[in-house]
Amino acid sequence: MRGLKLPLSQTQRVRLQRAFEKLQSLSAKANSDASLTVADTIPVNYEDAFLKGHGTADLNGELVATVCGVVERVNNLVYVRALRARYKPEVGDVVVGRVVEVAQKRWRLEINFSQDAVLMLSSMNMPDGIQRRRTALDELNMRSIFEENDIVCAEVRNFQHDGSLQLQARSQKYGKLEKGQLLIIDPYLVKKSKQHFHHLEQFGVDLILGRNGYIWIGEHVEARDSMVIDQAKNIEQSTVVEGINQAYTPLEMRQNICRIANAIRVLTSLGFNVDLNLIMETVELSSSLKIDIHDMLGSEFHVLVAEMEAERRSLTTKRKR
Amino acid sequence: MVGLSVGEKHFIQGGIAQDLRSDGRKRLTYRPIYVETGVIPQAHGSARVRLGATDVIASVKAELGKPSALQPDKGKIAIYVDCSPTAAPMFEGRGGEELSTELSVALQRCLLGGKSGAGAGIDPTSLVVVEGKVCWDLYIDGLVISSDGNLLDALAAAIKAALSNTGIPKVDVAAETTSDEQPEVNISDEEFLQFDTSGIPVIVTLTKVGRHYIVDATSEEESQMSSAVSISVNRKGHICGLTKRGGVGLDPSIILDMISVAKHVSEQLINKLDSEIAAAEASEEES
Amino acid sequence: MAAKPGSAPVTYSPNLGQKTRPPIFKDNDLDWVRPDGRGFHQCRPAFFRTGAVNSASGSAYAELGSTKVIVSVFGPRESKKAMMYSDTGRLNCNVSYTTFATPVRGQGSDHKEFSSMLHKALEGAIMLETFPKTTVDVFALVLESGGSDLPVVISCASLALADAGIMMYDLVAAVSVSCLGKNLVIDPVLEEESYQDGSLMLTCMPSRYEVTQLTFTGEWSTPEINEAMQLCLDACNKLGKVMRTCLKEAASASQE
Repeated sequence: MRGLKLPLSQTQRVRLQRAFEKLQSLSAKANSDASLTVADTIPVNYEDAFLKGHGTADLNGELVATVCGVVERVNNLVYVRALRARYKPEVGDVVVGRVVEVAQKRWRLEINFSQDAVLMLSSMNMPDGIQRRRTALDELNMRSIFEENDIVCAEVRNFQHDGSLQLQARSQKYGKLEKGQLLIIDPYLVKKSKQHFHHLEQFGVDLILGRNGYIWIGEHVEARDSMVIDQAKNIEQSTVVEGINQAYTPLEMRQNICRIANAIRVLTSLGFNVDLNLIMETVELSSSLKIDIHDMLGSEFHVLVAEMEAERRSLTTKRKR
Repeated sequence: MVGLSVGEKHFIQGGIAQDLRSDGRKRLTYRPIYVETGVIPQAHGSARVRLGATDVIASVKAELGKPSALQPDKGKIAIYVDCSPTAAPMFEGRGGEELSTELSVALQRCLLGGKSGAGAGIDPTSLVVVEGKVCWDLYIDGLVISSDGNLLDALAAAIKAALSNTGIPKVDVAAETTSDEQPEVNISDEEFLQFDTSGIPVIVTLTKVGRHYIVDATSEEESQMSSAVSISVNRKGHICGLTKRGGVGLDPSIILDMISVAKHVSEQLINKLDSEIAAAEASEEES
Repeated sequence: MAAKPGSAPVTYSPNLGQKTRPPIFKDNDLDWVRPDGRGFHQCRPAFFRTGAVNSASGSAYAELGSTKVIVSVFGPRESKKAMMYSDTGRLNCNVSYTTFATPVRGQGSDHKEFSSMLHKALEGAIMLETFPKTTVDVFALVLESGGSDLPVVISCASLALADAGIMMYDLVAAVSVSCLGKNLVIDPVLEEESYQDGSLMLTCMPSRYEVTQLTFTGEWSTPEINEAMQLCLDACNKLGKVMRTCLKEAASASQE
């Protein structure tokens, strides 16, 4: 219930507690003894050979944790996965980031990692879509692709020897994100899955769950790669400032975007993992109960969502048995 | 403060134009407001107010002092605001100073009334114990713990809550004293006097984005503002102070329109705040 | 904390009816005269002169009654490296008092509140986007404080900016009104300011009819606000004309 700051009435508090107890009882067997705080001893069999991994240290011959988290064991390796920490990138992750600097041949992106990530001009699909060497002219025109503060979706490519992180955006789906809102949540709530791009057709909304906890909810864009069009649009925007007014997101779509965003806000403040199913269920719950978009952030809806999730998890575990 | 991309800015402006903001609010809807009183036991009164991710604490301390020679029938009230670096790294060192003074001045202007003390939320004459000799000096300190826009409204609400939570010890004055001597006082530690807080105004900040104005802007929305007008309104619907932020000029008729909107909004806000304060006081007594 | 157990909370009752009125209220409302003999809606004669300081890029001197103010403008100069990059210019304002400005000898220190108010009043009038990466410094010194200091500083500063050749939308004229009892008194002197029940300061760009800054203190009802604002706007308009003539005189003098 960390960070849950809600004015609850007596009944709501009881209901919420019951839901959380239910959730806890369902997951208790899995990891209640595996979670550690800093300086807790990690139980290992000292006879066996084991490898000390991340988040562990040696203290007088005992293995202790240096972060709060969950003990993970892979073969001989013992490490502690921190629950609340900055994002730890893995190669192939889909991330959403914000451009902080346009440098020579590269953009620097803030992705909630301890360092800024680097997106090289050469690891981008060029606006004209042709594979070729990047010329000096391309370098000069970098700002027409991404500017400072732009939100960009990309994939983690590799780590350099010095520990810095390289990104790539070599596909239609990656690129600049416009017309929508960015939500920043704790990265541990976004689990790795096969699909991080979701086009919610019934809403006409794109949902991108960045592994770094940056979540994009925006208007659906057909061919994301068509940067030529983007460029043309940019020019249009800068010349015809008044023209922007017509280009506002339609009200209905905006309602959908806000509803989804608030669903994610509720799930995050309750500490649930954010995945597509859960988001959609929350959205449906809110619209079936005809809850006003803004009231989704109120206490009552939080309690309802917690109860719904407890119910759902207990059903799925029963089914498994 | 993180910058926003052109797309996001446009999205926020569009939302305000269409009366549906990023978190689903309408232009004149406040975020849920949550009041906690008595959070600092050392102070005579204190309150914490949360408005979305904005989180502020106000504390009231009273000390016995001497009224100034110019205004012998009035106690002194001082309001200061501190922006803690816990809220944002940019408040570290002198970084928060500018914002702190801006907020302090705006609050002083809105809550303390004119130089003669007329229209003040707290009646300074009620702080006098012996005219010209002894009075209470009231120190009101605000602390910004976490900032997500609309600090002024939150601070004013916190101060209102803290004052209604304030108990000032009753003072007994030894009866026979000569006129030029400082009278002896006896501070009671059992009997407390409370303020009449019904006259304390609330502050409504209207942030103008594009052609429309909104209440309770988040910091993202504040970054898009052309100008903002903070209007403090009391229960009678009278304006007790007004400050403008942001450079862009406004047409006088728009300002008058904003004032009438603020009056309308303040009614709901005062009622909401009063019920929250009452609830907070009740739950405090319970525990 | 508030209600200690065992103690019934008592409400502080405001002491009414013992406000000692200052001597400027001679009899009742309408009979009194202002200390300098003006009518309620009459401003002090304004005197402006540009080019008061030689070393500055632009400067102005203003005298309204006994309020005397000097403002100099330096720049635009390149912003310091430590400041972040910005595509608009920066405005740096500072208001200070001389040690002999007030009847009681003061510290002569900076006035932070006025500095930030001056900044807010001017930034809407200056076209900051025309000089990116640069800073303009505005230093105001109150030589003698005779009431309505801030409005005089603001009007004078906008003249100094115009004198420095900095791009502006319009001059900024500022006027304040004090509320004394039931009366609105324009352009109050120090004595009146110290007894005021409420005050209003309005700064505006007269020819664009835009308000750049507005502050209220004290309790106001809507009709009072309307009246006071009308009064201020009108006064600003007239003050703007005086400021314009001053600039014209300076221009014609330099041409000769």
